[in-house]
Amino acid sequence: MTAHHRPALGPALAVQGRVVFALLMREVLTRYGRHNIGFLWLFVEPMLFTLGVTVLWSLTKSLHGSTIPITAFALTGYSSVLLWRNMPGRCINAVEPNRSLFYHRHVRLPDIFAARLLLELGGATMSFILLGVIFCGLDLLEPPEDLLTVMTGWGLLAWFGMALALLLGTLSLRSELVEKLWHPFSYLTFPLSGAAFMVDALPRDVQDLALYLPMVDGVEMVRDGYFGSYAHAHYDAGYLVAVSLILSLLGLSLLMLSRNLVTVDG
Amino acid sequence: MNERGNELPGPSRRWWLRPLFVTCVVLPSLMATLWFGVLASDVYVSESRFIVRGQDKATPTALGLLLNTAALGHGTPESSAAQSYLLSRDALAALNHGNAYAHAYARPSIARLDRFDPLGLGGSFEDLYKYYLTHVRVDTDSAAGITVLSVRAYTAADARAFNERLLRMAETTVNRMSARARQDLITSAQHEVIDAKAAARNASAEMARFRNSAGVIDPTRQAPIQYELIAKLQDELIEARSDRRQLTIIAPQSAQIAALDARIAEIGTRIKEQSGLTAGNRIRSLAASSEAYERLSLDADFAAKRLAAALASLEAAENEAQRKSSYVERIVEPGLPDAAIEPHRLRAIVTTLAFSLVVWGVITLLIAGIREHGS
Repeated sequence: MTAHHRPALGPALAVQGRVVFALLMREVLTRYGRHNIGFLWLFVEPMLFTLGVTVLWSLTKSLHGSTIPITAFALTGYSSVLLWRNMPGRCINAVEPNRSLFYHRHVRLPDIFAARLLLELGGATMSFILLGVIFCGLDLLEPPEDLLTVMTGWGLLAWFGMALALLLGTLSLRSELVEKLWHPFSYLTFPLSGAAFMVDALPRDVQDLALYLPMVDGVEMVRDGYFGSYAHAHYDAGYLVAVSLILSLLGLSLLMLSRNLVTVDG
Repeated sequence: MNERGNELPGPSRRWWLRPLFVTCVVLPSLMATLWFGVLASDVYVSESRFIVRGQDKATPTALGLLLNTAALGHGTPESSAAQSYLLSRDALAALNHGNAYAHAYARPSIARLDRFDPLGLGGSFEDLYKYYLTHVRVDTDSAAGITVLSVRAYTAADARAFNERLLRMAETTVNRMSARARQDLITSAQHEVIDAKAAARNASAEMARFRNSAGVIDPTRQAPIQYELIAKLQDELIEARSDRRQLTIIAPQSAQIAALDARIAEIGTRIKEQSGLTAGNRIRSLAASSEAYERLSLDADFAAKRLAAALASLEAAENEAQRKSSYVERIVEPGLPDAAIEPHRLRAIVTTLAFSLVVWGVITLLIAGIREHGS
C-alpha cells in the first residue's frame, strides 16, 4: 500500500467479502465433502463428547456429590474449547492447500485465514446453539439465565481464538516448528482451559493464577451467563479483551509483513 | 476522495489517517487526561482485617484435606457468613440508617461522575446497593482464614467510619449466629433435664404417698420380719399345746389348763391375724402392697437414672457449645488513610494511551488488509 495507490474502502470491502465467501464455500466442500454424514460431523462430535461426560458424571454421582448441572458444564466447557482451540489448528498451515488460489489477483493471504476463521466460528457457534437447543428439548439442560452474557463471553472467546490463530497461522508460514509445538501445547491447555473445572472450586491463590489464562476468563464468562445464580463465576473481561487486542495487533502486523512471503509457486 | 486528484502527497495521507487516529487515540487519551488528571475525586481506602475464630474444626483426613483445599477451600462457614452479610442489602440498609451512607457519597465536593446518583435520576435503594458494591471489598484468604475488608470513600474520615461500622456489624452477626448455635445445642439438653427432674420428683412423691396410705415402708424387707413373728408364735403355740397335753395327763384337774387354753386361743388368733396380714387380706397384705411397691420403686429408679443421664448430656452440650462458639477477632483496626491512593492517575492515563494505540493499530491493519483488494 503506497501513497500514490490508495483505493477506496467500500468497493474493496465488497470485493473482499465476495472472495472470503467463495473461499468459505470451497472450504466447506473440501473439508466435509458429501460422503459420510458430511457437514453433520460439526455437531456430532461435540455432542458425543458432551453426552459421554454427562453419562460418566451421572454414574459417579455418589463419588463427587456435586450438584452443578453437569450437562451445561460439559457443553459450555467443551464447546468453548472447540471454539478457541480449533481456530489456530485450522490456521496453521492453512496456506499450503490453498496455494494455487493465489493465482487469482483478488485472493490475498488474509482472505484464506478469514475464510477458515469464519467457518470455525460458524461451525462452533452453530454446534453450541444446536446442542443447547437439543439438550434443552431433552430436558438435560436449563436454558441460559443470561443470554447476553453468554453471547458476550462467546464473542470474546472467539476473538481471542481468532487473534491467536492469526498469530500462529502467520508464524507457521515462517517456521514449521509452530505446527509441531502447537499439538502438544493444545493438548496441555485442555485441562488448564477451564473446560474441566470451575474457577470457584479452586483454592484462592490458584484462582488468581488460573485467571491469567485468557480462555479461562472466557469460559467462566459463558458459564456465568449460563448458570447465573447457580455458580459463582470469576472472570475479568477486561483482561481477556486486552490479551485479544494485543494478540490481534501482533497477528495482524505479522500478517501484513508476511503478505509477500506467499506466491503461487511457493 | 477516492480519486487520484485528492491524493496530494503529504497532507492527504494524514487526511486519511487523521479521523481514525483522532477517534481512536487522541480523543480517548485527552478524555482520560482530563478525567484522571483533573476531574476525578481522590479516593481514600480504609482497610481492616479480621479473623473469625473459635470454630470447631474436625481433624481432616488426608482425602478430606485434599478435597477441602482443592475443591471447597472457602474458609469457614462463619467467615463466609460474615462476608456474605457485609455484601448484603441488609448491611447496606443498616449502614444507610438515616440516609447517612447516601449523603456521604453524594457530597458536592465529589466529582459528579464519582458521586452516587450523579444526575439525581435514580436514587433507589437498588441503585445505592449497586454503588455500594463498587465501594466495598471483602476478600477472604481461605488458607489463613483472614478476611480483608476495604472501604473506598471520598474522605478519609468517611472511609474509616464506614469500615468501623461494617466491622462492628459483622461482629454482631457472627455473635448472633454463635449464640444461636449454642442456644440450639443447650436448649434441648436443658429441656431434657427439666423433664427428667419433674419425672424424678413425681416418682418419689408417688412413693411417699404409697407409704403413707399402705402403712408400709418396704414390703420386701417387712415380709421376712412378719414371717419370723408367725414362726415364733407357732413355736409358742406348739409349746403351749404340748404343755397343756402334759398337764392333762399329769394333773387333769389343774386350774392352769384353763389358762393354757386361753393362751392357745390367743396365739391362734394372733397367728391368723399375722398370716392374714401377710397373704390373705388383699388390701392390707404385704404381698399385695409389694406388687405396687415394686412398680413404684422401678419408676423411681428409672427417673433417677434418666435425670443423671440428662445432667451429663447437658454438661456435654455446654462443653460442645463452648467449643463451637465463634467470634470476630480484629487483626487490623480500620485505618485512617492520610492520603488518597486511588485513582492511579498517571497509570490510568498511560493505560488509556497504550490501549488506544493498540486499538488504532489493529483497525489500521484491518483496513489495510481490506484495501489490498481494491487495487
